[in-house]
Amino acid sequence: MAEATPAHFHMEEKRRQYRSGSFYLKLCVVALFLLVPFLFPSFKTVDLAVQIIIFGALVASFDILLGYTGILSFGHGMFFGMGAYCMAFLIGKYGMPSYTHLVMGFVVAAAASAVLALLISFLTLRVKAIFFAMITLAIAELAIVLATKLSGLTGGEDGISFSTPGIFSVSFSMGDFMGIEITGRIITYYFILLSCLGLFLAMLRFTRSPLGRILQAIRDNAQRAEALGNKTFVYQSISITFGCVIAALIGCLYAMWMAYVNPESTLGVMTIMLDVLLMVIIGGMGTLYGGFIGAAFLKITQTFLPDLQHLAKDLFPQALLLHNILERWLLLFGILFILVVIFFPKGVIGSIKGNKQ
Amino acid sequence: MAETLFKRWNRELTMAGAGILLLLPLLGIQPKTYLTLTIAGLAMGMLLFLVASGVSIIFGLMDVLNFAHGALFAWGAYVGFTVFQLLMKWVEADSILQNLAVFLMAMVAAMVTVAILGIILERVVVRRVYGNHLFQILITFGATIVLVELIRVFWGPNDEVMTVPRTFSGNWDIMDVIVSKYRIICIFMGSMVYGIIQLILKKTKLGTIIRAGVEDRDMVQAMGHNIYLLFTGVFAVGAGLAALGGVAMSVFSLQVYPDMGGTYLLFAFIVVIIGGLGSVTGSLVGALIVGLSYNYVAYLVPWAAAGVNVLIMIIILLIRPTGLFQAGK
Repeated sequence: MAEATPAHFHMEEKRRQYRSGSFYLKLCVVALFLLVPFLFPSFKTVDLAVQIIIFGALVASFDILLGYTGILSFGHGMFFGMGAYCMAFLIGKYGMPSYTHLVMGFVVAAAASAVLALLISFLTLRVKAIFFAMITLAIAELAIVLATKLSGLTGGEDGISFSTPGIFSVSFSMGDFMGIEITGRIITYYFILLSCLGLFLAMLRFTRSPLGRILQAIRDNAQRAEALGNKTFVYQSISITFGCVIAALIGCLYAMWMAYVNPESTLGVMTIMLDVLLMVIIGGMGTLYGGFIGAAFLKITQTFLPDLQHLAKDLFPQALLLHNILERWLLLFGILFILVVIFFPKGVIGSIKGNKQ
Repeated sequence: MAETLFKRWNRELTMAGAGILLLLPLLGIQPKTYLTLTIAGLAMGMLLFLVASGVSIIFGLMDVLNFAHGALFAWGAYVGFTVFQLLMKWVEADSILQNLAVFLMAMVAAMVTVAILGIILERVVVRRVYGNHLFQILITFGATIVLVELIRVFWGPNDEVMTVPRTFSGNWDIMDVIVSKYRIICIFMGSMVYGIIQLILKKTKLGTIIRAGVEDRDMVQAMGHNIYLLFTGVFAVGAGLAALGGVAMSVFSLQVYPDMGGTYLLFAFIVVIIGGLGSVTGSLVGALIVGLSYNYVAYLVPWAAAGVNVLIMIIILLIRPTGLFQAGK
């Protein structure tokens, strides 16, 4: 082919993108989320939508570490919680609910998490990648202990509740639109949706940049990538820092929605990290989009599980075993987790993509 | 000049440094309290050694980082708890023999049950992901979820109180230094386990094969030894050690709860990072460092106790990234 220049390939790729079905599917999903407050105005569904968005984005940022860099971090929940706490400190405990403090919350969260992520990567990447899992687990547990013990500083186990500023506050109302009252909650919902969309596009751009390609090369064969002249240490540090900063920013958004932080719900290894790991495995590692599928699956199941339990009790009042198993739904998820790792290591999205090729 | 001096006196200098570090807390603590704390620290260190040595051996031979070790530890504690419940009369009896018998029975039952569990885990789950660290961690983490949830299914989700055998509780008063009896038992037990492991590793043919396997797996296989059988065996022994640690620790802390594995797994990780992954002696030294420093700091500055271990770990990582001891030693 005479016109096989990189620019030509680029155009060709773009054209194919607008023709493919999955592109329109993605647009539809975004449109659906945009319409959620109008279609299902109940608090439960809007909350569920926010949880899916936030956790989907968080899992995508975790995927940058796990799927694109090949590093397993148990401290991702800690960075998420750090962001949430930064926000709580700046517009709650040590500041006041104003737009300046809100912006400062994001900036401080990004800066603090970047510094910590760099420190951790300098400490651990010198050794072996598996040390990263152990050391981040230790540091994450330490963070929880500190957040609980230093109750004068962080509010301890009771956490911090605060109010969000201006148009984001619960009491704010802008009047009716299409029969729905536009409250501060709905504005916050759109703010979170658009921010997460922006962060997600940034991550997509990151993984498709030359830097992202090098990271995948390092993941697949570190020695070869190094022999080709890439400084693996530098690239891995950059990727870890990028993923962690995004996690912290998402933590800020989560704090804005909850208007409350405590150690268990924002920092917990066995709460946040467990969910994130389940989501990334079910959705598929190294796909970014998989995060949203995993998040949607897990969050919807968790929300409707109590209903399912009641249904099971009504339908089969005698089957005690069934009740016990539904009470211990985490057991089922654990088994599912192991099965997916063994048989579908690429997850839902990865398997679909693999079948296409 | 200085370099040769360091080389010649390397061992002595290290010992002296360790001695000074060990005596440093005396500046802030009364000598009698110091002795009590030291014994408490040694006991805690020995219990941590039981957990950490399993992680270390399994990693050294099989190159598998077992995140399910904490769940196996909790299973051991719960099996021990069940034996105690069944033989409550013996536990509460005022005779050393009966107490000792029930304690040993609890340990044997826990070790056997959890070793079988370990074999199943290795054969069904871990074997499929040899050679891939990332998947090993993920899959053993998944196994942790399942094992902990199974504890909740079988024994219920609540904390349970563990009874101490009657004659094990209480203190001795030796020259005004208060020494808890059970701590002495722990120290004794830990030293025995360390001695047995070292004997097996250094003096038996099996031990030689295992040590050779740590150095070069392929070569051992080429020499005609079934390395996969060895893997299963070592995994079972590691699981048994975790169960032993679980029983001992639950009597030490007077309670069992489903999530107990997580806390001690974390301690075990810190221990093996300090001591060096794959080294049994390293696990012992690391465990003693963690146990002692935790107790001293908890007495001097209570709020810093949780952080001191992570701090030591970071310092060790900075000066010796591979830990204090080499694998296989």
